[in-house]
Amino acid sequence: MKKIVVENLKYRYPSTEKLALDDISFTINQGEFIGIIGQNSAGKSTLCQALVGLVPHFYQGAYGGKVIVDGIEVKQSSISELSLKVGIVFQNPFTQVTGSKLTVYEEIAFGLENMGLTRIEMLERIDSVLDLFDITAVKNRNPFDLSGGQMQRMAIASIVAMKPDVIVLDEPTSQLDPQGSEEVFRAIGELSNQGMTVVMVEHKIEKIAEYSDRVLLLHEGKCVDFASPADIFSRDDLHEYGVVAPVYTRVCQALKQKNIDKKTYPATLSEAVEVLRGKIHD
Amino acid sequence: MNKSMWSFRLSTASLVLIPVAVGINYIGKTLASVLKLPLWLDAIGTMLASMLGGPIIGALSGAINNVIYGLTMDPISFIYGITSLFMGLVAGILAYKGWISSWSKAIIVGIAVGLTAVVISTPLNISFWGGQTGNLWGDALFALVMAKTKLVWFASFLDELVVDVPDKLITVLISYAIFRGLPNNLKQLYKSNNKIESLD
Amino acid sequence: MKALTLYEDRNTFIHHVHPINKLIYIFIIIVVPLILPLFPVLIAGIIMNTVLLLIANVFKKSLPIFGFVLLILLTVLIIQGLFHAENATPLFHLGPLLFYKEGFFYALQITLRVLNIVAAFMILVLTTKPSDLVETLVRKGLSPKIGYVLQSVFQIIPQMLSTMETISDAQRSRGMETEGNLFVRIKAFLPLLGPVVLNSLIQTRERAMALEVRGFSSLRHKTFLNEVKNYRYTTFIQFTLWLVLLAAIIWRVVL
Ligand SMILES: Nc1ncnc2c1ncn2[C@@H]1O[C@H](COP(=O)(O)OP(=O)(O)OP(=O)(O)O)[C@@H](O)[C@H]1O
Ligand SMILES: [Mg+2]
Repeated sequence: MKKIVVENLKYRYPSTEKLALDDISFTINQGEFIGIIGQNSAGKSTLCQALVGLVPHFYQGAYGGKVIVDGIEVKQSSISELSLKVGIVFQNPFTQVTGSKLTVYEEIAFGLENMGLTRIEMLERIDSVLDLFDITAVKNRNPFDLSGGQMQRMAIASIVAMKPDVIVLDEPTSQLDPQGSEEVFRAIGELSNQGMTVVMVEHKIEKIAEYSDRVLLLHEGKCVDFASPADIFSRDDLHEYGVVAPVYTRVCQALKQKNIDKKTYPATLSEAVEVLRGKIHD
Repeated sequence: MNKSMWSFRLSTASLVLIPVAVGINYIGKTLASVLKLPLWLDAIGTMLASMLGGPIIGALSGAINNVIYGLTMDPISFIYGITSLFMGLVAGILAYKGWISSWSKAIIVGIAVGLTAVVISTPLNISFWGGQTGNLWGDALFALVMAKTKLVWFASFLDELVVDVPDKLITVLISYAIFRGLPNNLKQLYKSNNKIESLD
Repeated sequence: MKALTLYEDRNTFIHHVHPINKLIYIFIIIVVPLILPLFPVLIAGIIMNTVLLLIANVFKKSLPIFGFVLLILLTVLIIQGLFHAENATPLFHLGPLLFYKEGFFYALQITLRVLNIVAAFMILVLTTKPSDLVETLVRKGLSPKIGYVLQSVFQIIPQMLSTMETISDAQRSRGMETEGNLFVRIKAFLPLLGPVVLNSLIQTRERAMALEVRGFSSLRHKTFLNEVKNYRYTTFIQFTLWLVLLAAIIWRVVL
């Protein structure tokens, strides 16, 4: 089932000359985990914001084409209506703390109160996301007193509690240590397995390769390629887009060891192990 | 094309400006007293809110500033909320009319805001304190003029004038210095006119 | 993080009075002496306030605030006692200074009025958690957006203060002077203030977006996580307060 349809999307920020998004088209199916990669200023954040309606409703500017999320056309809808279908988590967890709530528990409730949920429903949802993101121990702390990692997990939990069909994450693990990002990826992967559609921008390329069903490569506002991680990371022009392939891919490229399809190189640890193990046993 | 100066549908971007403005006011005030400056400098945030968000946001920042001070530090502030409100309003109107485009214009804005404070505060001072401001130098002047003329309004007006105009002038100039340093795409955010241009 | 508030968490009767009733009380305390401009009325108000502050077990906490107000009031007493426009009847000498009756009593009236109002506000401020007050007001119809703004100020100020402390430590360690003559101190002001201000203004954009995607502008009917607090004798207190106002008006008309 098609969850997100993007058709000829063009966007220019107010008072700027260049298109930040330049004629982008793709579709995403329900339950897919999509990674978005590209160098700085490629337009990744702008694309994320276009999926939740911040582009164009928050910024205004110039807009063309169509984005349809779960049957709703973004341009004709509003950010708050869209927020029931699609959530977004930004890079800096600090700016995502509302600042009006005194505990983590109440902070997560912020969106739920705006949705008009009953108290019982809120309690249930909050307890469940606290557990999923492993922050139950700090639920009565002031949100500003959390560590960067806890704060980021709270930010994600606050969105997940709203139970959107689609969640967009824009570099959500930049504040986290390796173990912290691993935990976040695992939790998001879990949601994806339960049927949530995930779109994630991330510079930790090994993680993107491991978790994504498909990867979208963005460059100067244009969609260069949208394919499986192995396809994307096997491109020999990858460096032109400021992207470095996962270390597993590079090792296999150096050893000239392709996947069994004979076309692509392994993108993840397990693929690489599989391919290389075969060779070692030979 | 900008949106109307009085547009009442406050955008979320402008609303979140208000708590930050109140915070900046507080930081300015704290810093001025830590550095033992002979000024209050407690309205820099309100002025920035006016310059960025226009008169309504400026006025709201001023009023809310005093409500919060009243609730947390000094109950007397409630009364002077009206002064802050009008200062934000005047600065916002002038900003909207293009008066924050150069240093020389900013000086005029500073004096206008200072005079606004004087005009609004004087009656408040008279009805609440019998005409004083609580500032040592201003009140000394008040006593002097009272001794010589017995004209409460005049004495109170002068008291407020010597205290407020220099303070507000410097406040506006500092705010203008900061405003000039803000990135363009931030300033843009508050000017949005609810129109999305079509690229189709 | 220490929140910015004078609120004292106690478990007294006053702490369990509905915030709206405290607001009505302030209104009455201000208005009744205007209807009945008599010294005994003001004094009764002050006594009432003091008793309530004592019951709430926050009297001591209110003293520093009164100290500050009294300092200003002292100058009022001196200036008006000496120079009030209607001064005619000498009251007493203090060294070479002659204090007059008219000015002295005018200043006394100001003093009592200010103390009365400040004390009434202190009851509200010292015994009501700011977030409870705002939430109550939102439930009573204050725009949730204004409610948000009020709530967030209490948190943003300490946040910005700690950022500023970090920055001023850094600036000092880089050799910036913050003491010395006036010029040196003025020069330090902008470098200390600038970065915090710039930073917090730039952050407003992302905060606004984060609020938007959590339904801040939603047209749905907002609900509350917290249940309504159990305030005591709300109707009875409210009724009594309005009765006091009515009595004052009747007294004024009849007399
Ligand atoms: N608010 C804005 N106003 C004007 N131009 C903007 C704004 N935000 C981004 N841009 C521009 O749009 C283009 C795309 O930026 P975007 O933030 O989407 O890139 P990105 O791929 O997310 O980069 P990064 O990896 O640094 O996060 C850039 O040229 C940027 O300068
Ligand atoms: Mg980005």
